[in-house]
Amino acid sequence: MKCFTSDPASEPASVLYARCTVDLGSGKTRYEDVPCRNLEDVLGGFGRSFQILAERDIRDAYCDANPLIVNTGLLTGSSAMTGLRTYFSGYSPIKESRKGLPAAIWSTGSGNFGAKFKWTGLDELIFENRSPEPVYALIRESVDGPVVELKPAGHLVGLSTHAKMMALQNEYGSNAHFAAIGQAGEQWENVYMGAVALSTDNQLKSGEDKMRFAGRGGMGSLMGYKNLLALVAQSSDKIKPLTAEVKKVNINVVKGGGSARLQPISRGGGGGTWAAYDVMQVFNAVPVNNFRPQGNDLPEKLFRENVEPQFVIKSEACFRCGITCHNNVHEKRGDGSAGRFLAKFDYEPLNLLGTNLGIHDAAQAASLIHLSDNYGMDSISLGVTVSYVLSYNERHPEQPLLNGARFGEYAGIRELVEQAGTGNLPEIGHGSKRLSESTGETSYAYHVKGLELPAYQPETNPGYAWAIAGGHMSMGTYGLLTREGKSDMDSWVEGITRTKLQIVGFDMIGLCKFFDITKGICTQMVVDCIKSEFDMDVTAEDLAAAVRRAFLRGLALELRQGYEKSEYTLPAEVWERPNQNIKLPNITSPEFIAELQKRVWEIFEPELEGLLPEIGQKGR
Amino acid sequence: MKVTIKLVGPFRDGRFKENVREYPSAVSVLEVVDELRIPRPLLGIVLINDIHARIEDELHDGDTLCLLPLLDGG
Ligand code: SF4
Repeated sequence: MKCFTSDPASEPASVLYARCTVDLGSGKTRYEDVPCRNLEDVLGGFGRSFQILAERDIRDAYCDANPLIVNTGLLTGSSAMTGLRTYFSGYSPIKESRKGLPAAIWSTGSGNFGAKFKWTGLDELIFENRSPEPVYALIRESVDGPVVELKPAGHLVGLSTHAKMMALQNEYGSNAHFAAIGQAGEQWENVYMGAVALSTDNQLKSGEDKMRFAGRGGMGSLMGYKNLLALVAQSSDKIKPLTAEVKKVNINVVKGGGSARLQPISRGGGGGTWAAYDVMQVFNAVPVNNFRPQGNDLPEKLFRENVEPQFVIKSEACFRCGITCHNNVHEKRGDGSAGRFLAKFDYEPLNLLGTNLGIHDAAQAASLIHLSDNYGMDSISLGVTVSYVLSYNERHPEQPLLNGARFGEYAGIRELVEQAGTGNLPEIGHGSKRLSESTGETSYAYHVKGLELPAYQPETNPGYAWAIAGGHMSMGTYGLLTREGKSDMDSWVEGITRTKLQIVGFDMIGLCKFFDITKGICTQMVVDCIKSEFDMDVTAEDLAAAVRRAFLRGLALELRQGYEKSEYTLPAEVWERPNQNIKLPNITSPEFIAELQKRVWEIFEPELEGLLPEIGQKGR
Repeated sequence: MKVTIKLVGPFRDGRFKENVREYPSAVSVLEVVDELRIPRPLLGIVLINDIHARIEDELHDGDTLCLLPLLDGG
């Protein structure tokens, strides 16, 4: 990034970012410094990539014109805590409109790949077309600037995400970090939910498969389609010395409350996202058996307090991050020490590959998560599509789908995951929307706009309808009813159209949401970090306006890809069979949803005008 | 007056799951939170008799107060 202004909001073109475009077909590379069009470009992530995607007319995710854009955010690789994010963007193989057009998507993860990538001197890497042979890309620093080279990847074919990284680590040593797909992404024709795994320092040092993931939307499958199996970012560490301002921010991030729940229990925190189990269970709102909570205590079997006696749970972190939100579960040896690493217990994978499949045994849930991670699948899309199959089979015991597995039948469920992960079960690999359309029973397929829901009951979050990427992380209304107790229309309209959409700012700037998930990026903390790192003066209002434009651009892009307003809704089972067990006010009646749709579009629609460039034109 | 206190998640560590406790009348949620030494930054949801409430709200004889940690993404 080259900055020739201290006022990027008014003079974005005086900020230039370093882009490399690689033609995977010919192997040619092009390097350029690109002037920013607006503050969204300066911030980066999907704020920038969606403007590039909007210039293209893409009707099939698996076509050569669909680029894979790998980029970072302004604060990726900075000294600001959690500044580790990498973004993968493209038109999604899995998320599609009813008309069958692919939606633009981004997914993001932490680990240390993003910082290493940034430290090579590159801000953005665009992969065009597809390679005739399997390749990986080496991104390295040189005296003349960043260099990107394609290398043969025949030796990586068929390896898991972790095994690919270990093989590459043997070649590139300790100064490199990796992004890799697993077998699932390689089987892109039969798996649309391939994820991209990102290496962590912990993983590379221990040899244990403790990756992080950019899971949503099938960016790993798009990589597989392009025959691009992995990325290597090799550079020396270039973190700036910590200034007093950023130090203050970092202390505030760790101690100030914003990340309190994510901190380890041993440090007085809430113990990571896993703790959502305890909270949701009070309302009988932990998804069970394909999002049908039963009002009983079954979810408690996977409460931390019930898992901890049999396993060792290590609180671990990405490079330099003091939040330490990972809960890595290990076998417990006879002497109480940690044995083999089993899986990470984040809330989403644990629920969607555990309780929501009727699996209440921690070891069984761990092994399903472990499989999903190593095949390189989005655990959310995988879990929800499998739970659809189990739900179908419960309704049709005489003519079940696939292997006939039912809720709680570990062996049968494991077989489904293995078959899907190796590309042998396209019925699951293509996701719940397509599967439910083929059976004709769509009401209990828990996706919105073609992308599976995370582990928050839709009854608690009509805001899902306007999420532009992965369910809850691109529309922060998932706690509006549960946490804030808001069930009135005005609060929901305000949340969706103003306050809660701001969550997507994290997916521009390079910070993890846990930096300050309740307040977002439009805060003095972020303003101070930008000033300290780049000597740029940006106000919280500038940031809020850029985040809003980026969100609305995402919405406009959905509409251009054929989404109709009737698709901005929830799975029909929510009102066809209201779940009386959930102890929260009902805010998903057809009447409530209809009124919400009307009022939300009244606000959004006038603002969508002129946000997208004409196809083939550069955005401004 | 008697108030039933229910604690959720890590709030139970070193405390209790459910306990009927004696308080002076018109005690506030905040006073109970401080008395139980629950770190305020961790407190996410307050329910009085299963209804969302605020930390400033007063409790009455026979109330059930449920204290939950933050719920923030996953
Ligand atoms: S908050 Fe968690 S995922 Fe984010 S950087 Fe820190 S340890 Fe990694």
